[in-house]
Amino acid sequence: MLLEHWIFLATWVLGIIGFLLFIPRKDRRVGIMAFMIFQALIWLCDMPAFKFNLLSAPVRILPKATNLALTINYIFYPVLFSIYYVHRRVKGNLWSKFLYFFVWISAVTLLDMVIERYTDLLEYGFLTWYGMWGYISFLFYVSQVCCNRFFKDKSSPQAERWATE
Amino acid sequence: MRMEWWILISVFAIATSILAFIPKNKMRLAVVAFLATQVITLLIGLVVVELGLLAYPVRLFASVNRTSFTYEYYAFPVVCAAFNVWYPHNQGKTIQLGYYVGFVSILTAIEVIIEKYTDLIEYIHWEWYITWVTIGIALFVVHQFCKWFFAKE
Repeated sequence: MLLEHWIFLATWVLGIIGFLLFIPRKDRRVGIMAFMIFQALIWLCDMPAFKFNLLSAPVRILPKATNLALTINYIFYPVLFSIYYVHRRVKGNLWSKFLYFFVWISAVTLLDMVIERYTDLLEYGFLTWYGMWGYISFLFYVSQVCCNRFFKDKSSPQAERWATE
Repeated sequence: MRMEWWILISVFAIATSILAFIPKNKMRLAVVAFLATQVITLLIGLVVVELGLLAYPVRLFASVNRTSFTYEYYAFPVVCAAFNVWYPHNQGKTIQLGYYVGFVSILTAIEVIIEKYTDLIEYIHWEWYITWVTIGIALFVVHQFCKWFFAKE
């Protein structure tokens, strides 16, 4: 089996374990919402990004059906964002919030660069490392704004129990 | 312009106008249903195309993606959101079942017509009743998920 295939397997397994492990039970709905919002956004943004050769995914799952990096878009980043969002600084000053964001984005970009450099899972086309940094910042920021909006002035998602009754 | 592109544009327009009719106090339910549907359709849609069961000859982002972006990313999630928003919770079991059967049958009928007369979708190893069953399962799973998401613990 190729190294890449082991990584796929590891990503799916660790992604699910990571979600269960790092998202506290009481925050499970918030975690799932963050996961879904990020997935929807990255899927939408990666379509033009791949179409215009900003990046590509030479080795991927379901290669005939899509050129996009399914594992990375479907589980890898959404789970990371979900963990990021659930543990974000709600209180605290702007500086600590910014630092939290900055460290996360930089770590994720670094991880992405390692994947790009040492495996065939990703291949940067026109994209540079700072372009990737910007792209990931954009995805995290927009997803965070959407999640905040969704959970705005509701202490918990259950507050809208009547919605399905 | 080919007829297929006009249909895709109309699908986007119709789906967007359905969204406009969703009451403001049900928006969060609609969002959850919409996103949960995408989680299912993105993956299953790709698997079905990979296995060669279905093909979408005319599609958006054709060079990078061979599933129907319009249907799986937008149209079906919107329909599923509408399904949950207007679900008849207070009615009897028969009406609820009828609501399910009605939604599934209308969607299947539209797909069969589109398959027959356009190049938007092509059945290879596929039948209308597989569509009927899979849409039913998807609606059911998302509906249960929404009930869980908004339930009090």
